[in-house]
Amino acid sequence: MQNHLVLTASVEREEVLRYTPAGLPVLEMWLRHHSKQNEAGFERDVTCEIQAVLIGKQAPLHAGKLAGNTVALTGFLSQRSLKNPRLVLHIEHVEFVKG
Amino acid sequence: MDVPLWSTFSYLADRSLPRGQRVRVSFGSRRMCGVVTNNGNAEQQYAFRIKCVDEVFDELPPLPEAFLDLVNFAAGYYHHPYGQTLFTALPTALREPRAVRLPDRRVWRLTPAGRDAEVAPRHKVRHALWQALCADDLAPEGARAVAPSAATILKAWQDSGWVTRVDAAVPPLAVEGVIPLNTAQRAALDAIEASSAPHKPWLLHGVTGSGKTEVYLQLIERQLRAGRQVLVLVPEINLTPQLIARFTQRFPLTPTAVLHSHVADGERLVAWVDAWQGRARIVIGTRLAVFTPMPELGMVIVDEEHDGSFKQQDGLRYHARDLAVWRAHRAAVPIVLGSATPCLETLANVDAGRYRRLVLAERAHHAAALPTVRLVDVRRAKRSEGLTDEVLAALADRVRKRELSLVYINRRGFAPVVACTECGWLSGCPRCSAKLVVHLLERKLRCHHCGWEEAVPHVCPDCGNTDIKPLGEGTQRLEAALGRALPTARILRIDRDTTQRREAWNDIYRQVHAGEVDILVGTQMLAKGHDFGALSLVAILNADAALYSADFRASERLFSQLIQVAGRAGRAERPGEVLLQTQWPEHPLYQALVAHDFDRYAAELLGERRQLGFPPASFQAQLRADAPTLAEASDFLHTIRERLAQPAQASGVAVCGPAPALMVKLANRERAQLVLESPQRAALHQLLNQLTEWLPAQNVGRGLRWSLDVDPQDT
Repeated sequence: MQNHLVLTASVEREEVLRYTPAGLPVLEMWLRHHSKQNEAGFERDVTCEIQAVLIGKQAPLHAGKLAGNTVALTGFLSQRSLKNPRLVLHIEHVEFVKG
Repeated sequence: MDVPLWSTFSYLADRSLPRGQRVRVSFGSRRMCGVVTNNGNAEQQYAFRIKCVDEVFDELPPLPEAFLDLVNFAAGYYHHPYGQTLFTALPTALREPRAVRLPDRRVWRLTPAGRDAEVAPRHKVRHALWQALCADDLAPEGARAVAPSAATILKAWQDSGWVTRVDAAVPPLAVEGVIPLNTAQRAALDAIEASSAPHKPWLLHGVTGSGKTEVYLQLIERQLRAGRQVLVLVPEINLTPQLIARFTQRFPLTPTAVLHSHVADGERLVAWVDAWQGRARIVIGTRLAVFTPMPELGMVIVDEEHDGSFKQQDGLRYHARDLAVWRAHRAAVPIVLGSATPCLETLANVDAGRYRRLVLAERAHHAAALPTVRLVDVRRAKRSEGLTDEVLAALADRVRKRELSLVYINRRGFAPVVACTECGWLSGCPRCSAKLVVHLLERKLRCHHCGWEEAVPHVCPDCGNTDIKPLGEGTQRLEAALGRALPTARILRIDRDTTQRREAWNDIYRQVHAGEVDILVGTQMLAKGHDFGALSLVAILNADAALYSADFRASERLFSQLIQVAGRAGRAERPGEVLLQTQWPEHPLYQALVAHDFDRYAAELLGERRQLGFPPASFQAQLRADAPTLAEASDFLHTIRERLAQPAQASGVAVCGPAPALMVKLANRERAQLVLESPQRAALHQLLNQLTEWLPAQNVGRGLRWSLDVDPQDT
């Protein structure tokens, strides 16, 4: 089953870095995406907001530096919790984008 | 003998041995310690060969009759094998098939010949020792202080007839630092003083901080003056150092024996024998001290009589308070049960006129008022890591004023469970029907019931999610959360994990009294009679859990615990405040707490128990069984139930169950229980006598195990 998302977005807000009970660092953030895409042969505006989370060694390296920046992300989607079906992007790779 | 059998055993001795004599015998292939219970007839013919007693331990006199009496009563009442009961009552050193060696604590005294001996000053060490002896008798440790080699020198002098050993004189009674009593304390003291045999037990019901200890001390003083010994039972080992310090301040010369399970075997033996031989005049100890023989017993005091730790939960399941009441009755001496929150059994005894109640309604310190209690409704208030803004602000205010606060949460560890919010997994104990508690500092999950421990998993074992979350709050989490919210506060956590070391409590007291702490975060350990001086705020979190418990004693316990914790506030000069976070501010239990109305709510609880026919309106015994599977345990209890059905019906005893225990699985064993209940104590005990005859010999293997608990404290 494929689950791979590539997205360029600006980081609206970052939570404070936290740790799981096993000691893994977790950085939660909110992304805002704005672009032009083609649909049925017409160009259109696309806007969306999605929550994202970065877990593991990368998290402390990026903590505090993402908010306000535009980043290129790859990762997979999962629902927020058992009770909350909202999608969360689990970031596997993050890169800063100029502009 | 210390074996799980109901009978005593016959052995031959070459002479008549007194009752209570300790001996060594062989039992099967083992060498065991035995105690003589009675003398048979030497002429009697036995159908079997009887073995001889191998050795008689006569370094100590035979155990006294009063001690054997108490053992006999305990064995009968708790339906426990006599031998096992007796050996539970003895200190560990006397349970071994060995003679005991007690240190020779007689003092060294110079003989007239020694006085004339004139040791030359050039023998520096000898001269110093001789001079010291000329001045006064020397105890062994005193001699060692004068000269490290004293033992050798004194031995030589003893051989040449210069010194002898004599029993130390009984030190005179010195009493220091007596605090004047207020009217209520004085009235209580006078009432107890004036009581005469046959003594009914006294309940000294004094609100927290009402100065019960001062009343005890003055009662003890009178007993000591009259040349009698006093037995003081306290619930917690942690409380003993504090109490002992107060006793030694008050009676600096009086020899006091301290008995609890943290005292080393050797020391405990010495203390026990000192009490027995009348050398120790005061005995302070936890529940096991109730058995200590005291030939000149004049009074028994049970402090915090409501405390659950007076009940032993394995082996001989005795209640030290109840045995103490019997013992005092038997010895025809007064007994004082003290508490701010007497248990319902005791209150029922007062109602029935069997006990008499004395009330101390005011705090002893004239400036100290009872704290104001406020309920913080958490249904609407937002909480961060268990703390509402209101509680946090109150704490911040106290930190700013450098006043001591206490945050009470009855759960140690970081969080009571770890959960995966994506798939619903919870950290369960593989051996018990309980959850594993997160201990974040050690990155461990621990079972607080069976001791199971494992590393916190990196990912959810069911779905692989990395972001598993600790749910709820424990002391560690609060300590961390408070540290972040109030960075200037000096926080000290007090729970079973931080008080394991022997010196832990001494350090805690030192830090608190030196003013080095702003906030104490702790569990129910803090509910027991500690006096931290100027506690200005007590915040109670997550108390509601006990309201949902299936145990009929849960509300009583919660209420008493809350009164005790709240009672830590506002002692000494500062008025105190108590904030309690709850979802049920309208609950009568909390309303009674706000009104400081112990009596009303206790009467309400007692009324409920009477309606439902629960203790103290009835008497219970519990037959528990555990086995690898619940079916085995239940089957066994079913068989017993069937056998009991007829005699139980005839004697009006209700037999309920078998039912699975509240915690079905514990350490890989599944548990069930049968409850026997009757409004008549005698009827219940008669049935128990029959029951114990039918019960199979106790199996020590992996299969089925059973235990009988008379007057159980846990459902």
